[in-house]
Amino acid sequence: MTQKDDLTKKPVNVDDILKVDLYDVEETPHISVNFDRCIGCETKPCIDLCPAKCYDLLGGKVLFSYSGCLECGTCRIVCPQNAISWNYPRSGKGIQYRFT
Amino acid sequence: MSTEHSTPNASPSTNRFDAIVVGAGPAGSSASFTLARKGFKVLMIDRGRRAGTKNMYGGRVYSEPLEAIFPSLRKDAPVHRWVKAERLSFVSDEGLTSIEYRGGESKSFTTYLPELVNWMRAKAEEAGALVATEVRVDRLVVEKEKVIGVQAGPDTVYADTVIDAEGVNRLLLEGAWQMNVPRQEDLAIGLKETIKLDAERVNQRFGLEDEGMAWILLGSVTRYIPGGAFVYTNRDSVSIGLVLFLSHAVKRTNGHISRLLEDFRLHPKLKHLWRDGELLEYSAKLVPEYWRGFMPRRLSGAGLLVVGDAAGVLLNNGMTIRGVDLAAYSGYLAAETFTKAHAEGDFTSEMLSAYGRRVEESFIGRELRKHNGLEYIRRNPHFFDQYPRLVNSGLGRIFNIGLESPTIWKALRGAQKDVGPDAWTAIKDMYKIGRTL
Amino acid sequence: MQILVGIKWVPNTSNVRFDPKTGALIREGVPSIVNPHDLDAVEFALDLRDRYGGEVNALSMAPPSAIEGLEQVLGMGVDSAILVSDRIYGGADTLATSYVLAHAVKRISNQRGKLDLVIFGQETIDSSTAHIAAQTASWLDLPYLYYVRSVEIKENGFIAVERWLEDEKTIYDLPLPAVLGVAMKSREPRPVRLIYKIRAKAEKPIEIVTNEILKLNPNCVGLKGSPTWVSKIDYTPEVKRKREVFMDPDAGKAAKWLMQKYADEDINLIGGAHR
Repeated sequence: MTQKDDLTKKPVNVDDILKVDLYDVEETPHISVNFDRCIGCETKPCIDLCPAKCYDLLGGKVLFSYSGCLECGTCRIVCPQNAISWNYPRSGKGIQYRFT
Repeated sequence: MSTEHSTPNASPSTNRFDAIVVGAGPAGSSASFTLARKGFKVLMIDRGRRAGTKNMYGGRVYSEPLEAIFPSLRKDAPVHRWVKAERLSFVSDEGLTSIEYRGGESKSFTTYLPELVNWMRAKAEEAGALVATEVRVDRLVVEKEKVIGVQAGPDTVYADTVIDAEGVNRLLLEGAWQMNVPRQEDLAIGLKETIKLDAERVNQRFGLEDEGMAWILLGSVTRYIPGGAFVYTNRDSVSIGLVLFLSHAVKRTNGHISRLLEDFRLHPKLKHLWRDGELLEYSAKLVPEYWRGFMPRRLSGAGLLVVGDAAGVLLNNGMTIRGVDLAAYSGYLAAETFTKAHAEGDFTSEMLSAYGRRVEESFIGRELRKHNGLEYIRRNPHFFDQYPRLVNSGLGRIFNIGLESPTIWKALRGAQKDVGPDAWTAIKDMYKIGRTL
Repeated sequence: MQILVGIKWVPNTSNVRFDPKTGALIREGVPSIVNPHDLDAVEFALDLRDRYGGEVNALSMAPPSAIEGLEQVLGMGVDSAILVSDRIYGGADTLATSYVLAHAVKRISNQRGKLDLVIFGQETIDSSTAHIAAQTASWLDLPYLYYVRSVEIKENGFIAVERWLEDEKTIYDLPLPAVLGVAMKSREPRPVRLIYKIRAKAEKPIEIVTNEILKLNPNCVGLKGSPTWVSKIDYTPEVKRKREVFMDPDAGKAAKWLMQKYADEDINLIGGAHR
């Protein structure tokens, strides 16, 4: 997302949208995923429901990256496999909201 | 050589409090402020770098409950705009129909929640509360079924009562009460973009003179997924977002959820309102949607009071969304209950259960119960689909006149045949709505 | 060990916006934070204290809002903090800043009767000059090493300091007191602890030092004492990511593909890896 992109012209990739957010990323992930449990998961709702697109599909496998996490907790609720061990970051790290 | 620093000196003055409040959001800050003002030794702990950095909401706060807690609100709170314009729109592929109300008096305002929460935190701190930010509480410490303190990393701190204001993801409560993870059916997901526009443009485009607009939109803006879209005008920005019932969103987003918000932002009939704006922030939050399902069976236990989102005190009836003020007031009621318990020197579950009754008897309980009937609307997805289309299709027939205009009855009947529910369902729905209202 | 750690209170530049017309940095909504590399230095100092005992104190020259940052490092376990704060110190370049810091260090050293190490982060995220440690050492006439990864106390009152450069690792014996610049990301800073944070708030172990106390010549500090000026700022254009993914169980193939990509983009890896 650059300032010159017109927000009202065309869709912006969510990865670019997330660039406007301010983070202080903790070095140790605050969420961990048991990917073994994703193998049998048919619906994988995390992929489309995580607002920060922390979950992605690559070759049929779930990839997880915690750095853009907005700490909303949606993945924990929608995961049908109970595969997500969820917590908040420590020590003031993570998303730093200012304008919401 | 010395290792004296491996264990910090946890003197009684620093590890024992009258009350510990977990979370410095609207509920926690209100509880802390109220307690500190009465002279109690209060510790408020927050996981954010500073209070407010983890808070997100739709965009409007009802002021009266807050003014009851913070008397100086109208004087020094970081208010962006007092809301004097209310708009409700039904959006569908057929068109867009709005009703708008503009009154003189304003009882709600827009702001950035991180700013407001940090102001509340400052009030609590000025009143004497000790605020420890950057600390994530890991566990409520329970001994003989009584909460006696909190644990954060290697440290434990004790209090007569812990006020749990941890928010919608109530990990601590789940741990202490062995509760299940909340159900999708009881939650909604909120997404929002804050778009910078100078104040003059906000005024021009929304027809305002430095006052605020709150705008709810139903229908195609959520791709007919039950929920709604919102627009709030801030001082020099607009907040645009969606609230989607999670159980429906899981089945029906059909692609990444952020695309729904993009579609809203790019809506041909709306996008001119934020043209040339600059994206300031993208945020998301879970919302306790169906309080009857989400609220814990009890709001207190021995040494424990549950407030705010963790308690599920949030109202969304489609037109009115009240979270911040209800949360704050629940924090205030918890503080009042603690005060009484402290006077009696009794922090048992019986004593603290007065808090749950206070919530029920207050406007919070009355509001939640009153709007419970609207469950029918929210549980019937065709309200978010067929009725917006019916309205637009009907009005389209009335206003888009060729040679001869139809009677209103014919227009509506035609629209109903085209897009609406069958007549019997419509009659049933009208009856239910009438009864509820 | 008596250790002093330098802390800079900086705008969080990991996400800044620029005024499209003037090109100036927009400060609205840009919170200040403790320079992240200084947290590495704090961790380094606390680790020394864990192993050898003593005290770690933080030193910062900043406006009063920096108290928030000092509370963070106190929350990590730092014993006390000194905030050097005066309007006339404002607008300082690295020379004027290190001049003030050096005098503050002297004062602390005199007060406590002993000071073994002054530790700084490798550089700051808002200006990246890496001047301050060297200049402070120079004003104080103390030995100085940078890119430091570890320190051991030796029997003879010396310390063994390990410094890593890109292609070499050197161990120096250094007499105390000394000034060190800690290599960035040499270890993960410990999280803030509840007990320490409560102590920081309850006991407020932050001393505020103004120029009435330091009594420095106003011509040597702040804007007046700063010979540096910024003549122009250019912004590098944002590079759009290509989001290419190569999938193959054979790591060798993946590595080759990656190296080819670097070659295609004319990216020269250190050591000429794509030859």
